[in-house]
Amino acid sequence: MSASARHALSRALDDKRVLVVCGSGGVGKTTTAAALGVQAARRGRRTLVCTIDPSRRLATSLGLDRLPDRPRRLDLDRVAPDRDARGALWAMTLDTKRTFDALVTKYAATEAARRRILDNRFYKQVSSALAGSHEYMAMEKLLELVADERFELVILDTPPTRHALDFLEAPERLMGFLDTGILRWFLKPYFVAGRLTLKVATRTGALALKLADSVLGLQFLQDLSEFFLAFEGMYAGFKERAGRVRALLQSSDSGFVLVASPAPLTLDEALYFHERLDQGGMPFVAFLVNRVHPDPGHGFPATRAAADVDDDLAEALVEVFQDQRRLARSDRLSVERLEGRTGEAALLVPEFDADVHDLRELKEVGDVIVGSAEEGRRGRARPRPSRRLAAGGRRR
Amino acid sequence: MVLDELFQRRLVVLSGKGGVGKSVVGAALALAARARGKRILFIEVDAALPAGRYLGAGAVGGREKEVRPGLSMANLVPAQVMDEYVRETVRVDLLARRILDSPIYRRFFAAAPGLPELMVLGKIMVLEEERVGWPRRPRYDLIVVDAPATGHGLAFLRVPLVASNAVPVGPVGSNARRILAMLRDPARTALVVVAVPEEMAVVEALEFHRLARDELAIDTRAFVLNGCHERRFTGAQEAEILRRVSSDEDGRLAPGVTLQAALAAARRHIRRRRLTQFYRKRLEQAVDAPVIALPQLFTDRLDETALEVLAGRLEAA
Repeated sequence: MSASARHALSRALDDKRVLVVCGSGGVGKTTTAAALGVQAARRGRRTLVCTIDPSRRLATSLGLDRLPDRPRRLDLDRVAPDRDARGALWAMTLDTKRTFDALVTKYAATEAARRRILDNRFYKQVSSALAGSHEYMAMEKLLELVADERFELVILDTPPTRHALDFLEAPERLMGFLDTGILRWFLKPYFVAGRLTLKVATRTGALALKLADSVLGLQFLQDLSEFFLAFEGMYAGFKERAGRVRALLQSSDSGFVLVASPAPLTLDEALYFHERLDQGGMPFVAFLVNRVHPDPGHGFPATRAAADVDDDLAEALVEVFQDQRRLARSDRLSVERLEGRTGEAALLVPEFDADVHDLRELKEVGDVIVGSAEEGRRGRARPRPSRRLAAGGRRR
Repeated sequence: MVLDELFQRRLVVLSGKGGVGKSVVGAALALAARARGKRILFIEVDAALPAGRYLGAGAVGGREKEVRPGLSMANLVPAQVMDEYVRETVRVDLLARRILDSPIYRRFFAAAPGLPELMVLGKIMVLEEERVGWPRRPRYDLIVVDAPATGHGLAFLRVPLVASNAVPVGPVGSNARRILAMLRDPARTALVVVAVPEEMAVVEALEFHRLARDELAIDTRAFVLNGCHERRFTGAQEAEILRRVSSDEDGRLAPGVTLQAALAAARRHIRRRRLTQFYRKRLEQAVDAPVIALPQLFTDRLDETALEVLAGRLEAA
């Protein structure tokens, strides 16, 4: 039941050092991560929420115009005066390029090697703009943040990848790309010799090179090989870091919160992700399903007397009610399928009638997610959004 | 009519953050174009559940499949597009297979930054330029592309620019520039941004619109606001609902529907409707392009009937 998921999440907020919030795009991951951060801070933990999302979503939720690329402490006194005094909240967004640059700086053997990479045209474009590097750098940054003594808990909001899983695989894919294999196979003999010949060790290699030449062009190969050559000697360091991230994510200090909406596609992603966590030996914490449409009849006692409403209004009222009930039913079926397939309860978060604009509202969202102890005991009772959140409309 | 304007191009690219219903909007747009007698191709990129399912089309793969007369669909998977490209370039089957089977090729392709996106865009360009018959006419009158919502909303469209900067010389650069030229040409391509009436979706739609214009020099031709809650009560009725909700009176309206439950549901609807209105206005005030509102559907299942409703709305916009 929902209560067990809420309990698991609640314990994770108290005990874990890393919480990774995953899910497909548009399911409210960023808001969830930020709301969990506020809750952890209220419970007395020194918490950092880190988003990799280059758009300004977390900043919007936190009421900031822009999030800095290093931890910035937020003032919780106004929204959570009752909190455990040790608790504090920081937020930051990940600057992929700067993290990548720092990594290069750390592992380059010499100043010349460092410059060669940082000035490489290919690197300049690749390091910030393209798929995979966000995820990889998030992993990289995670190691650094976990080691930072200011924070007891790091909540990582993952990028809205099309396939949530990309996040876990990105480091290996990028490693595979940077690895010496490709270089040794067909680029190095070609360019190190500095000759435009196609003499390569193997026939397939030669063929691949010829293809690469006609498809990609010489200049591209040249830039690319320079890029690879520059990275040579750094792989060992990269590999070691990647191994440490993996070990961290597999340890009981870490936990994954899988976020979905009742849309079948996002639930399928969560299911798949759950399977992969299992295979990878990574600790699962809870499924969290956002934007669940509440059953409009829930909590209203039946009555026999006829209602005193004129016919037109009665008709429209019943129609709107039935529309909402249909959505609620379809959501319930979707969630039941997820629970049936995994044997795990999902924590259901109702769709709110208003958007989240500031810290106070974030705190309220967190209250609904984690719930009070009493709500937990009442089992599946659906927590209701507070009046403020339910108030609807524009408030800024 | 917004569609008259949009359909003057042969390529419509839909963009927007995940979860806003881009593929549904794309499918509805395809049906609307088909109703106008156009030969249309709807392209998705690596969709886990291709939109063909709404039309009972069965599996739609990388090859174009005609799911209704005049309406074709394809689900382009970057790795397949790349393989196909290699086969076409190498020509000799045995050699092509050796390359495709080599672990280096696989690894390189899996991680080469931007290459998958570039291949897909290249394939779209080939389809857009394809001519058949005599006199030569375009194979498709309209191609609607559901652009993947990877990370940054702009990542997909930015690839050609990044590639042409990273590799100015050679085939990669020149192809990237051709693709970019196609996307930038207002006579060939229309960019349509899809959002839902919610804070973050609207903020991102506006951000996307701005970045596309400033960084890529691509203008957004229209916005689609999906999932709009439309007015279901008159103003007087709404006032009555808000007055009577949470009062002591109750009664039965229909089997299983009490007055108070229905009033609470109605109030929820009114809040959503007001939010819809607020975000619609906000979007309309921020941009020059037209904003098309599509209604929230309350069906159990998204099928052709539901899509036709949306197509009708697009046509009427």
